[in-house]
Amino acid sequence: MNNQQLKTYILGFVGISLFTFLLSSLPDSIHFFKSERTVMFILLLTIIMVMFNEVKQARISSDSIFLRTIPGLKAVEEAVGRSTEMGRPILYVPGIMDMNEVETVAGVIILGHVAQMTAQYETNLDVPVARSIVMQAARESCKEAYLTQGRPEMFKEDMVHYVTDDQFAYAAGVNGIMQRDKPAACMYMGKFYAESLLFAETGNSIGAIQIAGTASQAQIPFFVTACDYTLMGEEYFAASAYLSRKPELIAGVKTQDMVKLILISFIGAALVSRALYDLGLTNFNLLNFLGL
Amino acid sequence: MILRRYIPIGIVAFFGSLTLFGWFIENESIEAFVNDDATQWYDIIASFAIFLGALNLLKLQFLKVVKRQSGWQYSVIAIASFFFAFIIGFFMKGAFFVGEEVFFTQRAAENALLASGSSDSVRAVEWGAHISTEGGLFKWMFDNIFTPLSATMFALLAFYVASASYRAFRARNFEATLLLLAGIIIMLGRVPIGGLITPWMIMYLLVFVATIFANTYLKSRKIVFGVFVAGLALVTAMGTSMGWNPTEPAIFYLPSLQEWIYTVPNLAGARAIMIGIGLGIIVTSLRYIFGLEKSYIGDQ
Repeated sequence: MNNQQLKTYILGFVGISLFTFLLSSLPDSIHFFKSERTVMFILLLTIIMVMFNEVKQARISSDSIFLRTIPGLKAVEEAVGRSTEMGRPILYVPGIMDMNEVETVAGVIILGHVAQMTAQYETNLDVPVARSIVMQAARESCKEAYLTQGRPEMFKEDMVHYVTDDQFAYAAGVNGIMQRDKPAACMYMGKFYAESLLFAETGNSIGAIQIAGTASQAQIPFFVTACDYTLMGEEYFAASAYLSRKPELIAGVKTQDMVKLILISFIGAALVSRALYDLGLTNFNLLNFLGL
Repeated sequence: MILRRYIPIGIVAFFGSLTLFGWFIENESIEAFVNDDATQWYDIIASFAIFLGALNLLKLQFLKVVKRQSGWQYSVIAIASFFFAFIIGFFMKGAFFVGEEVFFTQRAAENALLASGSSDSVRAVEWGAHISTEGGLFKWMFDNIFTPLSATMFALLAFYVASASYRAFRARNFEATLLLLAGIIIMLGRVPIGGLITPWMIMYLLVFVATIFANTYLKSRKIVFGVFVAGLALVTAMGTSMGWNPTEPAIFYLPSLQEWIYTVPNLAGARAIMIGIGLGIIVTSLRYIFGLEKSYIGDQ
């Protein structure tokens, strides 16, 4: 981060704080802002400011932003290659929830990138879904991927197919597909619940290379145990940027890191502030200030 | 281009911003939209979209049967089950009551009524209520077919957890060994027998473990033996001085130790992942709302 950027962020933060203060101070007749959510509002606008600035920088800068290697995403191409060599399909499970879950949307986006690879390698792709809306979105994503790769004839609508809305019935259906078709690679990218281990263990039993990605915290240990690669939490949301290499998307990942830096500084400052308050060296109580 | 790209992005941007900033605005209409209307719209759309899914499912299963693809027999069962559920959901409700007795068909109920010679009449349950009324065909199917099958799938988890744990707990490297130790401590600490194992027993075990490590890295057997004897002496001396208290020192008492592992290192790790997930969700959502990420509408 150079001096110019730092100046922009400081000025931006001051501007956001002033704007929020103005909103909070509006007369009662026209007051519409929920003052008790001031801190959240400032934080949100700060994230938006950082994101837009980073995107702008990424677009005008000739230097590419460094993105560390994520083994799970590097393995996606390896998995597609393996499936091609073995002449077996790739199974992609975009979670069991609907498109109102951001994890499902992320899963459908990653599916687009995987579909591009399967189009390139001429490998079969099988996407059983648990929701009709996800089916439509996934089809669009795959269709566009096959079109961009110049292989529209390879795209078949039924490569994305509906199984059922019910959790365990879906798990049974997908496990059945795994047992019958013996896919060489299984990818689980989306929101999962108890069925995660059913998928991962069945995939393991058929010897498929398995890559999972989820933000469902309770399911991460199961995937880590049974899959070859697991995208944990934020890695999963960085997948689209990593696979597409688009500067504006990578800038989004950088924004995450910037906000993380801000949060780490805030946690450090909060610890010091609380320690000083507990020791009686200051009267400033951070918890009262935050309204907690 | 406009229809397929800009209008969807515009809709996402408008409703996304409204939902996001609506949280900060004191306005009943916006709050009602964000909390109730928007989700209801979604539910309505999702309910109609189920037809697409059902038709796709039927089409694929029929094709499988017609083409005699591998496992087509399962497709026959799937199709039959689909129509069975469809018919008992929309056309045959069951649940005909004669007094306290319940019959699946009206004829059976009327026959029973005639046979009993009672002046009672046959009571039929309302459409809609039949799916949750005892004696209804749908309810019967749900209780006797669907629930046991779901429970069977869920029960499989127990076996999968065992096989996954076996793989995870193999002490292949330092991290896996740590996981194994933490797993043993958590498992033992959470069962009654864990509370019966005194910290002193654990400390004596640790002396043995320390001796194994010493034996690996030290060449002199005398020094290894010295470590072993010194460890035993230290633990014995501590035990004697503390009166062999069965719950002290707490750091080696399994229930306390597992509680500490659970609430300190485990929680710290979980929160770190949680913060990462939260940030990822925020930034990803903002990318969608502001149109930076367009892959969800097929833009690669």
